[in-house]
Amino acid sequence: MSALLDRATTGRNTPGQGPQDTGTKKPGMGVQPWLMAFGIAVGVAGAALSLNGVLRGWAWYPPLLTVVAGVSFSVAALRSVRARPVLVTGGGFVVLIAITNLIFFRSSSLLGIFPSAQSMDAVGEALRRANETVISESVPVAPNAGIVLVCCVAVGVLVILIDALAVPLAMPATSGLGFLAIMVAPALLKPQSVGAPGFLTAAAGFLIILGCSHWFAPDARLAADSTRNPGQARRALVTGGAVLAASLIVPLAIPGFTQGTFPQGSRLNTWGTADGLNPMISLGNSLRAPTGSGRISYATNATNPPYLRSVTVDTFSGESWGPDDREGSRRPGTDRFDNDSSLAPDAQVRQVTAVSAGNFTSPYLPAPYSPDSVSGLTGQWTWDPLTLSIKGTDTSTRGQQYTVESSTPVLSAELLARASAPPTGISGIFSATPLDVPDIVRTTAQSVAGAEQNPYDKALAIQRYLRSGQFTYSLDSPAQGGYDGNGLSVLADFLTQKSGYCVHFSSAMAVMARLEGIPSRIAVGYAPGRLTGNTVAVDGEGELTEYEVDSRDAHAWPELYFEGIGWVPFEPTPSRGVVPDYTIDALSSLNPNSDDQAPDLAPGNPEATVPTATPTPSAEAGVGVDSSGTASGFRLAPALLAVAMLLVVLAVLGTPRLIRSSRRLRRERPTPSPTAVPLAWDELQDLGADYGLPSLPSETPRNYSQRLRDSGLLGEPAGVDNAAHIAVATLAADFERTAYGRPVENTSAVRGDLMVDDLVVRLGRVRASLAGNAGRIQHFRSQWLPQSVLRRH
Amino acid sequence: MDSPARTAAESPALPSGAPSGGRNGNGDTHGSAYGIREPGPPAMDRDSFQAASNSILGAINTVIDGKPEAARLALTVLLAQGHLLLEDVPGVGKTLLAKTLARTIDCTVSRIQFTPDLLPSDVTGVSIFDQSTRAFEFRPGAVFANIVIGDEINRASAKTQSALLESMEEHQVTVDGTSYHLDEPFMVVATQNPIEMEGTYPLPEAQRDRFMARISMGYPDRAAEMEMLETHQAISPLTRITPVVSAAQVAAMVATVADVYVSTAIKEYTVSLGRATRESPALRLGASPRSLLQLLRAAKATAALDGRDYVVPDDVMTVTEAVLAHRIILDRRAASSGENAADILRGILEHLPVPRDPAATSPRGFGARTRNS
Repeated sequence: MSALLDRATTGRNTPGQGPQDTGTKKPGMGVQPWLMAFGIAVGVAGAALSLNGVLRGWAWYPPLLTVVAGVSFSVAALRSVRARPVLVTGGGFVVLIAITNLIFFRSSSLLGIFPSAQSMDAVGEALRRANETVISESVPVAPNAGIVLVCCVAVGVLVILIDALAVPLAMPATSGLGFLAIMVAPALLKPQSVGAPGFLTAAAGFLIILGCSHWFAPDARLAADSTRNPGQARRALVTGGAVLAASLIVPLAIPGFTQGTFPQGSRLNTWGTADGLNPMISLGNSLRAPTGSGRISYATNATNPPYLRSVTVDTFSGESWGPDDREGSRRPGTDRFDNDSSLAPDAQVRQVTAVSAGNFTSPYLPAPYSPDSVSGLTGQWTWDPLTLSIKGTDTSTRGQQYTVESSTPVLSAELLARASAPPTGISGIFSATPLDVPDIVRTTAQSVAGAEQNPYDKALAIQRYLRSGQFTYSLDSPAQGGYDGNGLSVLADFLTQKSGYCVHFSSAMAVMARLEGIPSRIAVGYAPGRLTGNTVAVDGEGELTEYEVDSRDAHAWPELYFEGIGWVPFEPTPSRGVVPDYTIDALSSLNPNSDDQAPDLAPGNPEATVPTATPTPSAEAGVGVDSSGTASGFRLAPALLAVAMLLVVLAVLGTPRLIRSSRRLRRERPTPSPTAVPLAWDELQDLGADYGLPSLPSETPRNYSQRLRDSGLLGEPAGVDNAAHIAVATLAADFERTAYGRPVENTSAVRGDLMVDDLVVRLGRVRASLAGNAGRIQHFRSQWLPQSVLRRH
Repeated sequence: MDSPARTAAESPALPSGAPSGGRNGNGDTHGSAYGIREPGPPAMDRDSFQAASNSILGAINTVIDGKPEAARLALTVLLAQGHLLLEDVPGVGKTLLAKTLARTIDCTVSRIQFTPDLLPSDVTGVSIFDQSTRAFEFRPGAVFANIVIGDEINRASAKTQSALLESMEEHQVTVDGTSYHLDEPFMVVATQNPIEMEGTYPLPEAQRDRFMARISMGYPDRAAEMEMLETHQAISPLTRITPVVSAAQVAAMVATVADVYVSTAIKEYTVSLGRATRESPALRLGASPRSLLQLLRAAKATAALDGRDYVVPDDVMTVTEAVLAHRIILDRRAASSGENAADILRGILEHLPVPRDPAATSPRGFGARTRNS
């Protein structure tokens, strides 16, 4: 090292006398790219494990693994042949395109890997499917080609990003962001957990990357100056450890994370949207939300608080059920609805309910069933004659205050028992049973209700079965068991596990009723609310008792059709809602608690512990930040969008740094060339500019070097950074000699080679000294907002 | 441009003070103006050059307190084969500097005190008819010395000034049709008093151009003045000075300076500087081509004194003020606003981009900046 210093001091490189150790070692080659690729692949593959739960099953994992391994190792291969950093990254993208083509569009691609017109069409189709999935399905979604393609591409891009962060940008610790980006989606979407195995594997990969970048030290800082090694190592480890620690601690500090630690799962409710396309999907999440949001208050003259119904689900086929809007047959206006009860008007009770939707935002209007008219609404509203669901065409429920007049048929067990005629006056869509009903549903329906003859008895039997002690109400077990959501396969899981919440109970009853020949549909809305203790004056009705509901009261219940009577709601969900009178007689012996009419719910239900007197402050706060109510949910779209935006932001933020470091690597290329010294000088000037001391056009090299040394950026001349001072002075002298001195005829390869290493070493010293003497902000600016890139002279 | 005493025509663009070469008369300038040396004294190696220059400067600095830059510049002019004009108020050591420089070198020194009644022949010499030999005998004037000190040059008549200036230009004296070569090294150190201008004959611009550099000594700082009072009370410090180098050594040093490499980039920089002075709105008269040549020579000497065998822009910058300031003429408005030539030259240098050797600039370097925009 002292020989090196001497040589640097004299400024004259004597051929063949330089130290051979720096001359022979080429940074960044050998086993290093492969180990780095291994680390990245392990980390990404581990982080991607946590996508299980967002995507159903494991079928999506092999293609994803192929992409990860293919991209990371091809990048390593490119790096091992010393391709330029830009080429390496570009090559990564090319390989990513080729691999995805090979996996997803083999038949339509040219030679299986090159995109063609047909494969581009197929990409469009896949993206459309992915989009559909993202918009309409709830997690876990079925791994169709579209969504898996999106995941593979995203993960592939992240592999390239992590690689770029770790190697050319020399910020291995920051590459943890890439792993975080993968795990953010599951953390936001997945109901219970990212999963310890995934987290630990990702952490292992991250540590391999950190270690790899330290052991092989592609950075001249480490190679050049052994006295800085401990500091570097400590800094790398501290940074890495801080990233891991932050990922564990930060969730604790942020409200909205239901559980403490990162692997334990966490759900931010930040990206709730107001489109409310499928309330079924968001229901589970609304119920699990720690604080209620989307508070609705209503005052009614009914003796018991009514269910508020938003929409019905009546098609039970496909992966996921959702409301069929039947836009074509909807009718405008809310003055008058066709009452679809078959009972005479005198057999019905007229009710008036004044609703204030507050911040609750949904296109579907919550109203007691069955509405006769709604007044006081603003905007365009339509209603579906088949289900009487009311939907805004250009507006939402937000801020609406309206009065619903509704009629509730007076029902009794006797009346229902008499309605045994086969249904005739009803659309076939309510009777259609899907072809692919799982066997367990059929057999259960058969065993539960097959013996009964009367439709009412069948319905009672099913309700009784579902409310029996065999079933438990649980918000978490479906999520843990992987059958959160809805659909026939979920139903089969539910009937096996016998644990779930209203969506499962209501859909089970609706499907089994259809199998037994009773037309059915699932109503989605709110269970009866809690007393607020206030009264509201309503025109023509006087003071009415006020109730309130919020997202935790979201509910789904089946409605069954009885010929001659109409649609009759049932309540198969234990401990939720109110069991109708007309079903109580038969049930009271079985379930003494079920006739509980009080707003309080049965003990053991997490939601029941909420104080009922007044809205809690936390609920109010929840309304403030999240106005989406039940329509808000954890669909894929917002989270994917967030991840994409994160990537874009990262890319934008990282661009100056990327340009800067690729410039630097280009200048420090180990190829001997006569321009090595001017390039090193350029680099030195850029370094100075990055730390706030740009060179002036009229400044001579020695003036600049003197100014740089006097500026204090390099510390005291005789202090610990003396090497850097010497490096700057000799770089200036070398540059002067090259630029203004007698042309040297003999730039032999050996000398040039030594020269380049020497230059890199000296630049490394300057860089280390600049970094060491700069303040934190200044250092950050120099790394991320390098003035040499952002400002041109 | 041409002095009245000149008999032979020479291109006015050719500079003065070229290294010795034309020893056989006016007709043969033999490229000497372009710095191509005939076989002369061998150049010195770097170490002996440094040793010699350091001993000269050291000797001067023992006499002249607190003016190392002036001493260095004087040596620069000597090594660049130019002539030096010392211009300052009386009593700041102009003559002392000139004498000290002369004494440090083991060479012939003459001093001319210029007065209005000084005749040209007093400077150049005169041919006297020798009765015994019945022939004209040339009696050399004061200019026949290695270093000629011309005190208060502006007090002599224009004719006498011209006689000196011709010899400065051509390193020869022509008397009665016979040319006499002056010994090398040859350097004229003239002093001039910028105040008390009454009854003087200020040097016209064309003649100021013959001086490679002008130095204003300026007052010494407090410590140096104290030191001066301490040490110079009893005896003249000049008496302590003994020559430290021989004339031959100086000639070798001059040869070394001539050997200094000037890259294309530096030449371009010098040309840009000259053009900038001509284009500057603050200047009525910019730097002449001859002055640029002298600038480059002075820069070469500076580089050599700095221990380099090539010129860097800093060398040019260092000597710009001394070499150019007395040749340029300020615009009336600039002059009335109190600016002086040195300020304007500094301003020009501050805005003149420093060149990079075009050959050394990577044409394909990613983001490599070309700084000579």
